[in-house]
Amino acid sequence: MTDPVVLEGVSHAFGEGELRRLVLRDVALRMAPGEIVLLTGPSGSGKTTLLTLVGALRALQAGSARVLGVELAEAGEGQRLSLRRQIGFIFQNHNLLGFLDARQNVAMTLEMQPGLGERQRLARADEVLAAVGLAEHRHKPPSQLSGGQRQRVAIARALVGEPGLILADEPTAALDKASGHEVVSLLRGMARQRGVSILMVTHDPRILDVADRVVAMEDGRIVSAPPAGRD
Amino acid sequence: MMRRFESLLLPLRLSWRQLRAERARLLAAMAGVMFACVLVFMQIGFRAALFDSATSLLSAMRAELFLLNPLTTASFRPEPLPRIRAHQALGIDAVRQAVPVYMAQVTWRNPENGTRRTIQLVAFDIESDAMGFSGLPALADALKQPDAVAFDRRSRPEFGDVARLLEARQGTPLPVQIGGRQMNVMGLVDIGPSFGADGNLVLSETNFRRLLPNRDFSSADLVALRLQPGADPADVQARLRALLPPDVVVLTQPDLVAWERRYWEEATPIGFIFTFGSLMGLIVGMVIVYQILFSDIASHLREYATLKAMGYSNGYLARVVLSAALVLAVLGFVPGAVASAILYDVVGSATFLPLGMSWGRGALVFSLIFGMCAAAGLLAMRKLRDAQPADMF
Ligand SMILES: Nc1ncnc2c1ncn2[C@@H]1O[C@H](COP(=O)(O)OP(=O)(O)O)[C@@H](O)[C@H]1O
Ligand SMILES: [Mg+2]
Repeated sequence: MTDPVVLEGVSHAFGEGELRRLVLRDVALRMAPGEIVLLTGPSGSGKTTLLTLVGALRALQAGSARVLGVELAEAGEGQRLSLRRQIGFIFQNHNLLGFLDARQNVAMTLEMQPGLGERQRLARADEVLAAVGLAEHRHKPPSQLSGGQRQRVAIARALVGEPGLILADEPTAALDKASGHEVVSLLRGMARQRGVSILMVTHDPRILDVADRVVAMEDGRIVSAPPAGRD
Repeated sequence: MMRRFESLLLPLRLSWRQLRAERARLLAAMAGVMFACVLVFMQIGFRAALFDSATSLLSAMRAELFLLNPLTTASFRPEPLPRIRAHQALGIDAVRQAVPVYMAQVTWRNPENGTRRTIQLVAFDIESDAMGFSGLPALADALKQPDAVAFDRRSRPEFGDVARLLEARQGTPLPVQIGGRQMNVMGLVDIGPSFGADGNLVLSETNFRRLLPNRDFSSADLVALRLQPGADPADVQARLRALLPPDVVVLTQPDLVAWERRYWEEATPIGFIFTFGSLMGLIVGMVIVYQILFSDIASHLREYATLKAMGYSNGYLARVVLSAALVLAVLGFVPGAVASAILYDVVGSATFLPLGMSWGRGALVFSLIFGMCAAAGLLAMRKLRDAQPADMF
């Protein structure tokens, strides 16, 4: 199996001319299949920017980024779109559609997959919702769920499409300590089961224990990246 | 194939679920579309009704061809043409009858309350079958009597309830003062009021002369031509054009109706007024729908950006917005069409205008409303660009 994320010499700047500011400087990062990597660092150090580049949400400016086998330096808009369909995104806010119930929200991920009927989509959404412990809440809209439950729906939505990679940006920021840890452990358990790698940005020290590896960033650089590997 | 279908159906379902979630907004949008719909139906209805009624006298004339002075702009004020042209037209074998028609407007004194009002006279040789007004054949003999006229039962009510008065007289004629002369109404025919005339009277050429002795009878206002069975009107029309001098035009019945209609459409602001009214309705409706769609997108920008991050294409989201426009078009059109049909009935019976719903008109208005909503959707869609998945984290 090839490594899901291979970054080499990635630099990124915002702004033009006088206002131009480098926020990523020559970043290199390699993730092994199934590896769970936590990205930490002070606010403004470039973590989110790095995540949006890996997630093909921004065009790569310099360097090389191979994500799930796709070289982003050469990818057009269409390729980036289809790459995004193989990535599960979990945002700081759940970003669920308010007018859909939990199960419809989860099934939305599957609507882009060819060859699936409505029945299969809903059945698979139900399965994943049961796996995150929300079987009896599947017909509720997000407004009737607690913060932790919403984030679990978001996890189900990210996982239901059987992605090759999960990208999460401070998924616990909106949660209290207990439910934060619960949600991250759940995510970790499900990713392990499916062999999916996770790249998660956090500056929540209480959840560092779920990681295989912690990568620290400072001022656009990776300052500590011990080699991949678990014990 | 299935894929294609799904790629339209799924955005449609998503847009419907989104619209349904906010009842108040949906109702406001529906009311806006409905308003535009009723406005357009009424404007188009009035326009058609007025133009139809403008030509009802000419539409009721059944002859195949007509001779007309080319200077005549509208039938209520005809320019005379030489009567001799009727005889010349008979020189063509295919012309069976050439019947001069005389028209004039005189005052009619309401037999119920004595008020005076202008009425249209239509005179011709009653024995000929030039006109084919319904009800006329049964009265042909009665109208040969001196001072006899037939009254158009569809004339406006201000002329008096002639039908009821006639019935009360049990077969004897109803005396009415017409143009300062005592005349007798013998019976009723069916023509219909038009722009230029609120009511019509049909009488014989002889009685017309008696009523208006000062007129020059070497000229007529119109000549109706009946053709031999099987004769081709277009062919005879061409031959008459070649035969007759240029002081007359030769028109088929549809030509004649179009001639009159063109006057009302082009020489009066009536057509413009109603087109303008329809356009205003569509613009107001479009602005309302645009506002609704725009604020729907604006308040769901995060969700749209999330969908983009998940791999939904711009095209898919554009289809969601356009589907919402389509849903609003349908939801507003259906009650709008029903309300318009009811209004047609109410307004039609109050104004005597021939207002009526038809499939063709329904289809026309639906396509206008659909176009209006689609335009609003296309404008609102630009807001989707603000949904930036990269800014989601
Ligand atoms: N869209 C943007 N335009 C301009 N500057 C940006 C943009 N996004 C982030 N930045 C800047 O880039 C730097 C890194 O931001 P970010 O990647 O969000 O850091 P982190 O997630 O580690 O807090 C910050 O100084 C931020 O102000
Ligand atoms: Mg950040």
